[in-house]
Amino acid sequence: MVIVPATTGQMGVLPGHVATIAELKPGVLSVHEGNETTKYFVSSGFVFIHANSFADIIAVEAVPLDQIDANLVQKGLVEFTQKLSSATTDLEKAEAQIGIDVHSALNSALTG
Amino acid sequence: MAPNAAVPFWRAAGMTYITYSNICANLVRNCLKEPYKTEALTREKVHFSISKWTDGKPEKPTIRSDSPEE
Repeated sequence: MVIVPATTGQMGVLPGHVATIAELKPGVLSVHEGNETTKYFVSSGFVFIHANSFADIIAVEAVPLDQIDANLVQKGLVEFTQKLSSATTDLEKAEAQIGIDVHSALNSALTG
Repeated sequence: MAPNAAVPFWRAAGMTYITYSNICANLVRNCLKEPYKTEALTREKVHFSISKWTDGKPEKPTIRSDSPEE
């Protein structure tokens, strides 16, 4: 079974899942095989679940959790929270919000 | 039928999905441990050539070869 971080929430995918296309938000992708779980952090992207029980994950960046540096995540979270409060244009606010979303997701990935 | 379901905040701010996705990817890359971070930075590099077309003819192309801006 695979759990994907869809924008609509965590989605569990088993063989026989109905064909679906879902947009992903930054979050943890976990692959459960028997008793083993492999986790990856995906930056964003899509998941295509086909009718024949194959699923494709399309992401620009997908890294195993142990490649993430917790200190950099904390620094980034603080930096973007600060950027949001000092942002003026819509675009700056959106960029700061994206920074906060991604770093919070990275943070929960490391602590969850 | 809703003419437009709730738009994501980045699109409301005028950003496209590609820009959003690339920003997310860059942020993730910047949070990696070494040596993965240096490998990841090489993935950010782009190399392409652009030419503007006028009257059906291409003008002199400009080559862009650097890391993409955020």
